[in-house]
Amino acid sequence: MSDLIVVESVSKRYVTSSGPIEALHDVSLSVGAGEFCTLIGPSGCGKSTLLGMLGGLVTADTGRLLVDGRPVNGPDPGRVATVFQDAGLFPWRTALENVEFGLELQGVPRERRRAVATELLGPLGLRDFAEKYPRELSGGLRQRVAIGRALAIDTQIILMDEPFGALDEQTRLLMGEWLLDIWRRTRKTVVFVTHSLHEALALSTRVMVMTARPGRIKRVLELPMPYPRAMESAEMVALRATLWSGIRDESLRAMGER
Amino acid sequence: MRVPALRAAILVLFLLAWEGVARTANPLLYVPPSAVLPAFGRLLALESYPDLVPSLLLTLREILVAYALAIAAGLGCGFALGLNRTIGRAYGPILAALYAVPAVVWYPSLMLFFGLDAASKIAFGFLLGFFPITLAVLAGIRQVSPHMLVVARAFGARPLVIFVKVMVPAMLFTLVGGLRTGLALSVIGVIVGEILGSRSGMGALINHAYGLFRTSDYVALVLVTLVLIVGSDALASLVERRAQRWTD
Amino acid sequence: MAAERVRIVALQVVSVGVLLVAWEVVARAGWVDALFVPAPSAVAGAFGRIARSALAGLGDTLLKTAVAYVLSVVFGVAFGVAIGSVRALREVLSPFVVAVYGMPKILVLPWIVLILGFGTAPAIVYGTIHGFFPILVLVMGGVRDVDRTLVTVARAFGASTWQLYWKVLLPAIVPTVLAGMRLGVVFCLLGVLIVEMFAGVRGMGHVMGSLANGFQAPELFAATALVSAASIAIVLALDVLNDRLSHWRG
Repeated sequence: MSDLIVVESVSKRYVTSSGPIEALHDVSLSVGAGEFCTLIGPSGCGKSTLLGMLGGLVTADTGRLLVDGRPVNGPDPGRVATVFQDAGLFPWRTALENVEFGLELQGVPRERRRAVATELLGPLGLRDFAEKYPRELSGGLRQRVAIGRALAIDTQIILMDEPFGALDEQTRLLMGEWLLDIWRRTRKTVVFVTHSLHEALALSTRVMVMTARPGRIKRVLELPMPYPRAMESAEMVALRATLWSGIRDESLRAMGER
Repeated sequence: MRVPALRAAILVLFLLAWEGVARTANPLLYVPPSAVLPAFGRLLALESYPDLVPSLLLTLREILVAYALAIAAGLGCGFALGLNRTIGRAYGPILAALYAVPAVVWYPSLMLFFGLDAASKIAFGFLLGFFPITLAVLAGIRQVSPHMLVVARAFGARPLVIFVKVMVPAMLFTLVGGLRTGLALSVIGVIVGEILGSRSGMGALINHAYGLFRTSDYVALVLVTLVLIVGSDALASLVERRAQRWTD
Repeated sequence: MAAERVRIVALQVVSVGVLLVAWEVVARAGWVDALFVPAPSAVAGAFGRIARSALAGLGDTLLKTAVAYVLSVVFGVAFGVAIGSVRALREVLSPFVVAVYGMPKILVLPWIVLILGFGTAPAIVYGTIHGFFPILVLVMGGVRDVDRTLVTVARAFGASTWQLYWKVLLPAIVPTVLAGMRLGVVFCLLGVLIVEMFAGVRGMGHVMGSLANGFQAPELFAATALVSAASIAIVLALDVLNDRLSHWRG
């Protein structure tokens, strides 16, 4: 088995005040090393829950999750790093200190972690912002710092939970190009959650469409075409239509449930 | 279900421990709860302090007058400072600086000026209640979004209409919160004044009981005063909740 | 902007000046009883007369306040963090904290004096009680309001419980603690002064109480001005500290 991430018939149920909610139902998938794998689906379909499980922040009710052949058992910053939707930067730390955070937790000596973080900032386009506090940074730059923080602990896998969800469309497009560049240079394995069809098609090697609650994998799209992708080409437009037709019904169902 | 039970258990344990410690150490000084109940009964039967009712009424009257004055002055000052930019920027900092002074420093002067009777307590209750009300008005005015004012003006509303229909509703919740705090502080001001020096009112009774080492009577008097305090705050919180519903 | 600033300062200076002059005129003309409302010039003269006793009293009061303040901050922050961050403690204890916080402390003052006697000990205890609760309640709220995402991030990066407290929770509540410290110092001073007035043998509260009882109005006004100035200076100093320590805030 060469797959880096294996998810086998995982289910998850939440108990809320208005009764139990089945977030995930019998989900199985696998992700190979170096892939950029995207989960897309309507709001509340359990994408973030699934990502939380891979990160060890959420436990599965049934089924099992393997990373690199070993079961996930709580957060494991040695193998998996996570980027959250609203950046989650520590407001009392500068950009540089935020990037250092994971290394600091692991007890890496001060000079060493500072060197690692400083070296990272250049390619991330953050060199001029090292000493800035999060409140002084734009949304896009904050998200770059959050991604830098994940890259700093140098894990094989990076999980991204709608990292660009809070950004405006133009910033989003630029951040997508930037992320693609970073990913192609570092060759990390990325599991990416998004609502954006464009993001999914422009970035991924594989897209998995999830159903409305309870979440299941509805279909998988392989995208072997090279980067950067001409999004206006007939091929991509057709793919976009296919993808949308898969998601549209689910989004309608999810809307109706509210 | 388990949390309320735990809370009750803590309360019972606390009272039991108090009872035990007080009995073994010094019942006169530490007043075991079992001694408070009979004292409370004697107090309510007007045996220990026959002038309980007039004292309570006097304290209540002082509070009402102090609070009414605090509301009038607080609203007046607050709106004057909040609506006029120059006045606000000139006197706001002075007000804030005075608020940083523990109010009790004014009390000896008030006592000297107004004497030992009701007037000095009213003045002190007024002083304590005045600040939170003024500050709440200022905070409330700052809360009114300029956007709403622009919209109102764009629809041709006159200043008075804007004030009544836009500003007051928008700041109502903050205002009522300030009025509630003001009431609590007016109550405390009057009681502090009475305890620091007076001839009548609940504070005077408390001082009397304390001075004669009638500790269980003292605790009973404190409990009655607490009822007054908690009652007034409960009333205020009722009004506050109403206001919250209006603003939502 | 600069012109407005000048205008405002001018307005402040002029109003205070007018107030003082009017007061002086009213007092000199004998429209108010100089026994109760002394003229500003008389108050200024009184500063010299009370300087020695008042400064000694102020020193004594501030020393007691400092001890009470340190105790309030240490216990307030420690209990606030513990109760705020441990869910079981928070759920069981918050109603008690709120009840005691809301209760006017003045009601237990006679009892404290009865047990601890006159002098320094009741002042410190009462000042500590006054400062402790506002700090406790603020810190509990601050801990509750810490951005949950930050805690999740730290967990995802493998933080231990110790690291969660040390690297996330405590830095996150620094602004709250500073706000509590600013609020608390006034309350501590308030508590100490009340005890000194009620049952003091030394300290500024005692000095002011005696001056009031002796109908020495100019001296009393001078003493009041002195404590007020000290209190304002302390709060302003804490404000400066506050700005320095939370530069990262928006």
